[in-house]
Amino acid sequence: MLSVYRHDVHKSRGRSHEDAAAEFAGVPVNEPVPLGADSDAALLSRPRGEPAQSVKNHISPFRLSLVTGETATSAGRVEGGIRSALAELVQTEDPVEMHAAWLESAVASIFNESVYYPYTSLKFHTLLTAALVDNYRAGCGFDDLYLVVDRSEDAEADPRVVPHRTVLVLPSFALRITGEPGEKPAARLGAAPAMSWADVWTRLPEHPFDGDDGRMWRVVDAQLRRIQSWSTALQFIEESYGWWRAMRRSSRLGGGEQ
Amino acid sequence: MTVVQRVLLELDEDYLGRPYYVSGNALYRAIARRVEASTRRSVAVSHGVFVPGEHGGYPDEHSQSGGAPYFGAGLRPVESYEDLFLFRDAAQRWLSSSRPRDAHNTHDLRVHSGRVAFAPTVRFGLPRESRNSKRTMTWYVHFYVHGDTGGSDVIPLDEDVLDGLRLGGARNYGLGGTSLKDTQTVDLDSLDYSMLEDAEGSFELELVSPYVTGSEYPGADDQSVPWWWTPRPGGLRRREERLVEDSDVYELETIDHGQVVGYGGPNPVETAKSGVLRVGTHSRFGFGEFRLRPVSEDRVPERASNAAARESARGGQR
Repeated sequence: MLSVYRHDVHKSRGRSHEDAAAEFAGVPVNEPVPLGADSDAALLSRPRGEPAQSVKNHISPFRLSLVTGETATSAGRVEGGIRSALAELVQTEDPVEMHAAWLESAVASIFNESVYYPYTSLKFHTLLTAALVDNYRAGCGFDDLYLVVDRSEDAEADPRVVPHRTVLVLPSFALRITGEPGEKPAARLGAAPAMSWADVWTRLPEHPFDGDDGRMWRVVDAQLRRIQSWSTALQFIEESYGWWRAMRRSSRLGGGEQ
Repeated sequence: MTVVQRVLLELDEDYLGRPYYVSGNALYRAIARRVEASTRRSVAVSHGVFVPGEHGGYPDEHSQSGGAPYFGAGLRPVESYEDLFLFRDAAQRWLSSSRPRDAHNTHDLRVHSGRVAFAPTVRFGLPRESRNSKRTMTWYVHFYVHGDTGGSDVIPLDEDVLDGLRLGGARNYGLGGTSLKDTQTVDLDSLDYSMLEDAEGSFELELVSPYVTGSEYPGADDQSVPWWWTPRPGGLRRREERLVEDSDVYELETIDHGQVVGYGGPNPVETAKSGVLRVGTHSRFGFGEFRLRPVSEDRVPERASNAAARESARGGQR
């Protein structure tokens, strides 16, 4: 599993698989991902076929943010610089810790998964790839998979994280890709990987959002029903949460709708 | 003859209202003050769906083909049932993926005295050095009106009535201004329903707007899930809504839009027509709109074509 988390680190320099170095920060990167999971994860977030530049004037490995409309580089804010933060991220040697490190990582979300589709996110592409590999190894085909909502037991506790399968975690809930949804609210991913986020999201029998931040979550939910790319959507949830909290701290935002 | 009038408004100012859509009730209140009493009593208004004025092309199931720049900026011809829903789907599946389709289809947020509003135009996040070459895109609102008899005694509404409506919150402070961009009348009885006429076929039903099951509004009875819906495992997602009339707020319990259930009724074409005109309580204000489609048809066309590609690759290996 380690190589799965390391496979796309070359993208932080805007390199393709062919042109990328085989090693970064002393660990092997750019190794092939088993079971076709990398291309399946890519299809969840980008159109099939030859990549085309979709934002004029922006060919850069830095992700564009759907929340602010600007480049999402918090380069100055990454402690010790981007390179060393990335090095630290990929040097982890325990697969479960590696998964946890990616879930928490701020540096991985600075980059897009393709310079041609700058709103996509390297962080969530990698987490989706890992979730697919882990499910495929357990014998599930793509059409057996579900998106599942894991809520925390109470508002204070963190939701349960399942190694390699949880693709997003926030203080009150997590999202997971699995072939065994059990009793949890879940929606099928469908027959084959495609840019289908809005379709899967709107079919979930329960949304994880509610409560105190009512207005915020309604805005986020409304936008999530319009987004098709998976890594873009997951990044949007995470980033909106951070943006909203920052706005509140600077007390420019009230709570209620009216 | 069952006639609806489709309307496309251009957003001129920030919108500070519901994030999912402009409710039919808000549109009704804005229209009601401009029309005479008989129209006011009988006009029914759908929810307004946000449409980006962007480049795009028809998905396969539509009667037309091809695409155009600013596809979303004008009403398109309606010849078949499917055409009615081109702009009624939040995912706006006609948007071209050779552009950043998700950036086009999400609103830029603006904060007004602690409340979040949608901007009427979207800026594209370009690098700082190219700030001057920023491109902007305008948002539109698509809705339709019809008379409660289905006839043409109420519609078409005059362009003067539809031009300059103000929607959402803070209307007295200059927000929510719109202008009329395009309007068109469609006779539902003369459309092509061939996708739904196969008697052997099975169909599913997609909720375009929430279906009201409970309401505080005086005189509105509780509704159960219609017998001709067959919900999928996991059940139906519910969401609270509210209806605002003057200064009174009525809470509504709804089955949330965007969900898909099976269709177990006997007459898909008639059901499809009533789905355009909406069913259930508060249907006059936009609730209870749905679309019918054959089960065999995937809502995400790329998913079907990717599945076919995988299938043939698997066949080739054998």
